[in-house]
Amino acid sequence: MKTLKGEIVANRKYSDNLYKLEVFSPYICKNAKPAQFINIKCSRQGSDDPLLRRPFSIYEIDEQFNVFSVLFLVRGRGTQFMADLRKGESLDFVGPLGQPIKIPENDSRFVLIGGGIGVVPLCLIAKNLKSIGKTVHFFAGFKDEAFYTWERDLIKILKDYKIFSENGVFGEKGIPLNYIRENFSEFKDHHFIVCGPLEMLKQAQSFLKDRKVRAIAIMEEKMACGIGACMGCVIKIKNKNNGYSYKKVCSDGPAFDLMEVCFD
Amino acid sequence: MTDYFSDETGLEVRMGNIVLKNPVITCSGTFASGIEYSKFYDVSVLGAITTKSFSLERMAGNLPPRICETSSGMLNSIGLQNEGIDYFINEQLQEAKKLGVEIIPSIFGRDLDEFKKIAYKIKNIEEEIIAVELNLSCPNVAEGGIAFCASAEQVGNIVAATKEILHTGIIVKLSGHYNNISETASAAKKYGADAAAVINTIPATAFDIETCKPKLGNITGGLSGPAIKPVALLKVFELAKENIIPIIGIGGIMTWQDAIEFIIAGASAVGVGTANFIYPECGRDILQGIKQYMRRKNIGDIKMLKGIAISNIIKG
Repeated sequence: MKTLKGEIVANRKYSDNLYKLEVFSPYICKNAKPAQFINIKCSRQGSDDPLLRRPFSIYEIDEQFNVFSVLFLVRGRGTQFMADLRKGESLDFVGPLGQPIKIPENDSRFVLIGGGIGVVPLCLIAKNLKSIGKTVHFFAGFKDEAFYTWERDLIKILKDYKIFSENGVFGEKGIPLNYIRENFSEFKDHHFIVCGPLEMLKQAQSFLKDRKVRAIAIMEEKMACGIGACMGCVIKIKNKNNGYSYKKVCSDGPAFDLMEVCFD
Repeated sequence: MTDYFSDETGLEVRMGNIVLKNPVITCSGTFASGIEYSKFYDVSVLGAITTKSFSLERMAGNLPPRICETSSGMLNSIGLQNEGIDYFINEQLQEAKKLGVEIIPSIFGRDLDEFKKIAYKIKNIEEEIIAVELNLSCPNVAEGGIAFCASAEQVGNIVAATKEILHTGIIVKLSGHYNNISETASAAKKYGADAAAVINTIPATAFDIETCKPKLGNITGGLSGPAIKPVALLKVFELAKENIIPIIGIGGIMTWQDAIEFIIAGASAVGVGTANFIYPECGRDILQGIKQYMRRKNIGDIKMLKGIAISNIIKG
């Protein structure tokens, strides 16, 4: 990991509040692995407001052109700053951070379920799984039309996917987990990787646990240092004594065994 | 390129029995034991690092979320999550020593007895550390913590008990929350403390107006970052004017300019905390900036800078 500056190659507006920021960085393209993230300074040089860096999963890596991207929704001052960045400007970030996801070597079939912005780390994971010859089914669920044009990115990675929207404005009306429930026999021997809102993860845990399916969750939490020093981004992870320990999303994660995450 | 780190002339800081090669220290809780940050730069350039506060036994810390952004600042409610002093002594100290930097273990007890027990454990590693910091001002724990600072007598008792056990330098980390910092600093000095680290984070909170709930799992936290700098600077300035005890100035230091401001306000050394989260190399950069400033101003010794603002006010 390093503190880096990278030239912005493009800042593409996907919808009213969804953007893809493409950044030139040979270091990230060479060293970053699926599920890792970068911590972006969301203020101009010389300014410290907003103060804390914001963590973003790495979305794509183009090794040929040394360009990586992050996909983000504008939610507050930090992401508004990012939305306003222009081609040619410099991005100040730290990375790559977090542990790369450990792909279970013996499993050959995977189901990826992303909810909202949770699809971001799954895209790089899906690409990686495909590149090593694994079978991947990708299910993405959204609340509204913000991700309407995002399908053009997904289709470049794989063809076997289904998109759902809760209001039915695009894709199929519904949520991925309902589809999985109804068609579970197709996926019962798959390894699941999930990322999305806590409620979605909680439901996935409950459903998959009953069926003894193995699953990995990509977690997020508010962070300060991003490197494992401050203990700010902890989540509860079950331990052997039927209790829990606090684990750091930034440096122990962000990938955890879904069945060990405590959602209470 | 000029190597600003090869020349330490004029940077040495003496605070009671504690001698630092330069005035830049990292603050407890923001730098772990230095290992993570050593991936960014050679942390041996620093005057010292202050570790995360260690308690007698392992502490789980507070409920998440523990972090919240505020205007030009942040709240944390970590609650001293740590693996206990034995873990530091047996597992972490030797790794940290490999970094080649002076180490100040920060310790936390819920009461006087726990401080004494930890001090006895520290006694076994006294040769390997430059000082110990007594964290008497954490705002995020139910027992002890900031409450110690409400009473100068309690501060004095803990310092006295620690001093009986340890020969190494003693730093007391004080809060700016109570209006008695002169009294607590005086008590600390009287019973043998070498320096006071001023200030800790300021008790604060924030609420989410959509959920109408607190933004922190612990409800309250400690405010840090640039937002608290003017408050911290005033506490340092007021305490330095009384010339009670050498001061490590802490609170919102992001740049070398901030560090200089604390030194001219009377701090002997500076603690860099929250800034590490945003600029992992800031300790090194702040030190470099201080050196360049001294050269530009033709100041041969950092001691000449200490408290200049106070002298100027007195002179008119």
